Amino acid sequence: MSCLITLSHAPYGSQSAKESLDVALVLAAFEQQPAVLFVDEGILQLLPTGQSPCSHKHIGKIISALEMYEINDLWVEQESLDQFGLMVDDLSQPVKVINRANVSQLCSQYDQHLVF
Amino acid sequence: MAGFLYMSDLNTLVSPSLNGPALTYTIVVRCGADQQSQALSAFRFTQQVLSQGHQVLRVFFYQQGVLWSSGFRVIPQDELNLTALWQQLSLDYDVELGVCIAAALQSGIVDPQESTRYELEGQNLASQFMLVGLGQLAAASAESDRLVSFGG
Repeated sequence: MSCLITLSHAPYGSQSAKESLDVALVLAAFEQQPAVLFVDEGILQLLPTGQSPCSHKHIGKIISALEMYEINDLWVEQESLDQFGLMVDDLSQPVKVINRANVSQLCSQYDQHLVF
Repeated sequence: MAGFLYMSDLNTLVSPSLNGPALTYTIVVRCGADQQSQALSAFRFTQQVLSQGHQVLRVFFYQQGVLWSSGFRVIPQDELNLTALWQQLSLDYDVELGVCIAAALQSGIVDPQESTRYELEGQNLASQFMLVGLGQLAAASAESDRLVSFGG
């Protein structure tokens, strides 16, 4: 069973980013080969940050653990990058870029789709 | 919440009819008390799925959704008590109500076992609900035809 997880929450401000990444890691641990799609503020999770707010766990560290869990399919939406004036080179991980128009096609490649 | 819904209204929604093969569902409830209508949608969807003869492997309460498993919520009599509705649904259809243990503990929801472990004064996990690990979501979704998530 393959699963696509869409992350749309900013890294800090709430526990949402951490809790949704936890789901990705657990799915990977259960060998469900999740892929992750970052959209909207979710792409900010991929920015390299030196320090996390003291109230939160360091999201960057969880992001860098994705590879160790063999979560290699990281997608970012082009329109979301544009929205924040970011480029792929600004991000901490190697990612694949997808246009919004093709997102539904990406979803259809997976058995399940979880949106956070 | 748009408009009032009473328990009697919910009961009339039940219409048993199965078009096509029975499917296996996992339901994820992530919305809390400030997202009443989404939380109600989650319940009504689950109720419909069951009443139409499908199987629900597990309802998994995560993030803000763990709140619905608190036995200490006090709801005015003329308002909908979603915790009680979930409990009744679980009894009627023998559906497992799994609550993410990490999120529950952070929200102050404990069962007798956790209460003893952390030496807390009392326990408040509502009956029919069960504290389980996040792995139980992964396990259920792996065996389900459909994974449907509410809230966010």
